[in-house]
Amino acid sequence: MNIVVCLKQVPKKDSILRIGSDQKWIDERDISYEMSEADAYALEEALRQKENHGGEVIVISLGPERVRQSIKEALAKGADRAIHLHDPVFDSATDAVAIARSLAAALKDEKCDLIFTGLQSDDYGFAQVGLILAELLGLPSATIVMEVQPENGSVRVKRELESGWFQWVKLPLPALLTIQSGINQLRYATLKGIMAAKKKEIREVKAGDVGLTADDLKPAQSIERAYLPEKTKRTEFIEGKPADAAAKLVEKLRFDARVI
Amino acid sequence: MDVLLVGAGPANLACALQLSRLIASHNERMRQSAGKPLEEVNIAVIEKASEIGAHQLSGAVLDPISLRELIPDFESEGAPLEAPVGEEHVYFLSTNGKIPMPILPPPLRNHGNYVVSINKLVRWLGEKCEDAGINVFPEFPGAEMLYDGNAVIGVRTGDKGIDKTGKPKPNFEPGVDITAKVTVLGEGVRGSLTKQMVQRLKLDQEADPQVYSVGIKELWEVPDDRFAPGSVIHTLGFPLDSHTFGGSWVYGMRDRIIDIGLAVGLDYRDPRIDPHHEFQIFKTHPLIKDLLKGGKLVRYGAKAMPVGGWYTMPQLSADGVMIIGDSAGMLNGERLKGIHIAIKAGMLAASTILDALVKGDFTRNTLAAFDDHFKQSYCGQELQKARNFHQAFDRGRMFGLITAGVSTLTGGRLPSRLPIKAGHEHLRKIDGNGEKDKYEGLKYDDQITFGKLTDVYYSSTHHDEDQPPHLKVLDTNICIDRCTHEYGNPCENFCPANVYEMVEAGAEKRRLQINFSNCVHCKTCDIMDPYQIINWVPPEGGGGPNYRNM
Amino acid sequence: MSQGILLFIEQRDGVLNRTSYEAMVAAQGIAAATAEKLSAVVLGKSIGGVASEVATKKLDGVYVVEDDKLAEYTSDGFTEASRQVIQKLDPRFVLLSHTYQVRDFAPRVAARIGATFVTDCVGFRAEGSDVVFTRQIFQGKINTDVRVNGAPPILASFQAGSYRADKAENGDAPAPINPLEVSLSDVQIRSQAEPKFQEAKQAVDLSQAPLIVAVGRGIKSQENIEIVEKLAAAMGAEIAASRPICDNEWLPMDRQIGSSGQTVSPKLYLAVGISGAIQHVVGMKNSQTIVAINKDAEAPIFDIADYGIVGDLFDIVPALTAEITRVKTEG
Repeated sequence: MNIVVCLKQVPKKDSILRIGSDQKWIDERDISYEMSEADAYALEEALRQKENHGGEVIVISLGPERVRQSIKEALAKGADRAIHLHDPVFDSATDAVAIARSLAAALKDEKCDLIFTGLQSDDYGFAQVGLILAELLGLPSATIVMEVQPENGSVRVKRELESGWFQWVKLPLPALLTIQSGINQLRYATLKGIMAAKKKEIREVKAGDVGLTADDLKPAQSIERAYLPEKTKRTEFIEGKPADAAAKLVEKLRFDARVI
Repeated sequence: MDVLLVGAGPANLACALQLSRLIASHNERMRQSAGKPLEEVNIAVIEKASEIGAHQLSGAVLDPISLRELIPDFESEGAPLEAPVGEEHVYFLSTNGKIPMPILPPPLRNHGNYVVSINKLVRWLGEKCEDAGINVFPEFPGAEMLYDGNAVIGVRTGDKGIDKTGKPKPNFEPGVDITAKVTVLGEGVRGSLTKQMVQRLKLDQEADPQVYSVGIKELWEVPDDRFAPGSVIHTLGFPLDSHTFGGSWVYGMRDRIIDIGLAVGLDYRDPRIDPHHEFQIFKTHPLIKDLLKGGKLVRYGAKAMPVGGWYTMPQLSADGVMIIGDSAGMLNGERLKGIHIAIKAGMLAASTILDALVKGDFTRNTLAAFDDHFKQSYCGQELQKARNFHQAFDRGRMFGLITAGVSTLTGGRLPSRLPIKAGHEHLRKIDGNGEKDKYEGLKYDDQITFGKLTDVYYSSTHHDEDQPPHLKVLDTNICIDRCTHEYGNPCENFCPANVYEMVEAGAEKRRLQINFSNCVHCKTCDIMDPYQIINWVPPEGGGGPNYRNM
Repeated sequence: MSQGILLFIEQRDGVLNRTSYEAMVAAQGIAAATAEKLSAVVLGKSIGGVASEVATKKLDGVYVVEDDKLAEYTSDGFTEASRQVIQKLDPRFVLLSHTYQVRDFAPRVAARIGATFVTDCVGFRAEGSDVVFTRQIFQGKINTDVRVNGAPPILASFQAGSYRADKAENGDAPAPINPLEVSLSDVQIRSQAEPKFQEAKQAVDLSQAPLIVAVGRGIKSQENIEIVEKLAAAMGAEIAASRPICDNEWLPMDRQIGSSGQTVSPKLYLAVGISGAIQHVVGMKNSQTIVAINKDAEAPIFDIADYGIVGDLFDIVPALTAEITRVKTEG
């Protein structure tokens, strides 16, 4: 069972985000990066599948030099080799289609049984790249996957539906799955693993290597302005004895805010 | 491993980098002279932070003397420098006013130095090390020293994946024993391994007790170019009382960032003193308030620093081990500088390690050469000259200013070695029922001043919550039965990150709550606790602040 | 030339998903601002009831797409049916609610027809006949205005809770309902779905809860948590907490809101005895309506609250529980 895991590197969860001077993105100076959370779970799931069923785990990531750090982390945790889409041309790949197109171009010759992505990234949160990639590669897909059970020539996955509902779905291989955060417990990279990772292959891929030009990656949607959500509301203080205040509040919540 | 360095700060990274070069040139010489080159030497640096530099906090103005030795063309090599020091001022602050010092005291003259972010500098050094083939392992703290008899043979790294009750979680990963021919402790101030080892091997018998200050620091982004990069202000006086050693710094960084901080001597007398609060009050001084007006807080942090100097340094080597940088007290309190000394010490340690590798002898017999080389170096000499600086302040500010002045003028030649005692011993007891809140009425406007929790947020501190607290309080009964009455639980005050809280636990009862996940790894609690029952140990690797640009 | 707006209505087993009405509010707004006609489309099998219900709304038409292969939701079936619908009707905008089902097939539809899809929007702004969508990035920490540069159709989905379903306008007369043929005979449904089932989640996902009652340090002791639990039960809300409560293990760690816990944006966030430290506020400040009960009038939580009660929570919370219970039973 060979599994490709698509990894995205994003600003660390507890980063203090500030708007950049062009007001189109965050100020990336002084930001630390990490693997997007759902992708980390996707990687962990792939490693567990490999441990149980053999095969190879290949990680692929698109981004600048800094992305190597997350790739190395994946290799240290047990991935076998990596593909790094590393080229200034890829910098313009900022929408889901352009990212998926880049991944698809790099993966079309990889012989794999499963492709995992995270459900959505912690930065843009498109929740699209995986499915577009599946579409481009002609693979069946399942999203919001909580459990993965490979069977002979197929995979049975547990999908999360809304409000506590679940469903098992069987897909023929090869297939693409988008993995939900929290489905397993992430492992730590060990010193041995980190040392071993130094010898593993990280193949650098330029856009030209996979037949892509800047025109192919022009985003069809782009951020015109990024800004901090501002609450301009005024607090309405409700006074009176407890019972009166409670009655007034409930009335407001029912008829003004209409939230209960 | 052949050489294991604990802590990826300036001292150890300089040591590793220099050592890799010394080995290369040694081997080259051997090949040319048909001598025997060294076999491959494995050098590893372990670091508790999530990434190299994440726990580095300093002022900082860098004296480039040793960096120039290590990397002669560091400017063109892309060393992250904010700016050369430009305009400099020293003020004595009163509540609302300021008195400029007519002449800059020589130790505070910074011409030729650079304003830097130590976080950036260390990250850059880390990259240099990795390029040189040195293994750098973030997220791996040293948990304990490994010994053979009394010889150090390596370090055990911390366990990962232990839950808060101390039980292994499913992803438990036990610490590993990394053995090495030489272990170099460059853990920074009040190193947790250094502390254990110095006690065990009695390396501090000749030394006076180390004394510390804690630096509270914030970075501010201001809307205009009001404070040029490289501008430097130091102040004394307001808001600290005359029994409290300390002073402030204000440095101009690139991109309209102002670096501002207050160092508070951890040998103050009043247990109610709260360094974080003092810093907040400091910012309300008109001089500072005007500077920050309209600006935004972008980062916060705190870290202790060793200021005792020359007489407080432990023995620097023992069998299989060396201590360098802040762990060894290598900081000039008079100049408020230690980075250049750390780098120099690292380079000197590297020379001694090369000798040891060549000889195949890693005992004190060979390593002791480092103690001598360090003391004879320009950095050693600098520390020797300043040897009575902090000691002079042991008896209060006025005595200190006069004595330190005399000492500076005479190059440290005071009549004698001035006595000093550990900082926490200066704390005076409160009278039974407690005293009124020293900071009563202190309000945070969330514009210029901020509460501790808000500040901690700006330190980007993160710890996995499901792990045992890494602040080990040996006997919490003391907190309730004695400390409350004797000192009023000063842990709530001296901790700049709101880690310690005495909370109500039912009628008439209180207990100590340890919010360990707030901890910014400054080590103040380990230092300042009057009963010395707080033991700071590293949390799970990767936990702690993220001091980007600090 | 592409024209009009097509709104996808989601149904399961003949029951309409309420978030479709939320998206309808946005769709009606966009239709009004751009002077485009608005139609809705429902996919499934035996969905006449849903179509009639939807037709009562202010729409220019409702399309019904029925096929055996759409009886149960499958990614392959819905992707291909949607592709055919969109290409037949050739709308400028295709709007959806950002449900789990939409996430499972709509990106494939967009890819198949070469369109761009703006997901998880929380608002829009019309500029002449163009629409700029607002979506959040970094889990709601930052808002962005997104402009589409590609050719129509433009797909966009709206986050649950961004609009109020009851604001969807009714029509003066029922909208015409038209069947729309799709040809799915060649479509191979590659997935085999087993029956759906319900299961208690292992971890509490508070981000999906519409109502949250959160308790903070003001509750003082573990025994007192009960009064807040009663309030949550009366409201049908999830209970959550600020960090000190979870640190003390008065509530489990997965109930924690804030920088070291979960980030939520429910319809109603009722903060009881929470002062509003920044670490907590970053996890909930984007809630639709925030109510704070705190004895300290200067607590920072009031800076972000819509409604505030300054007072003793031990008096107010039981009174509130009683009032909610009374309102619920009396209707």
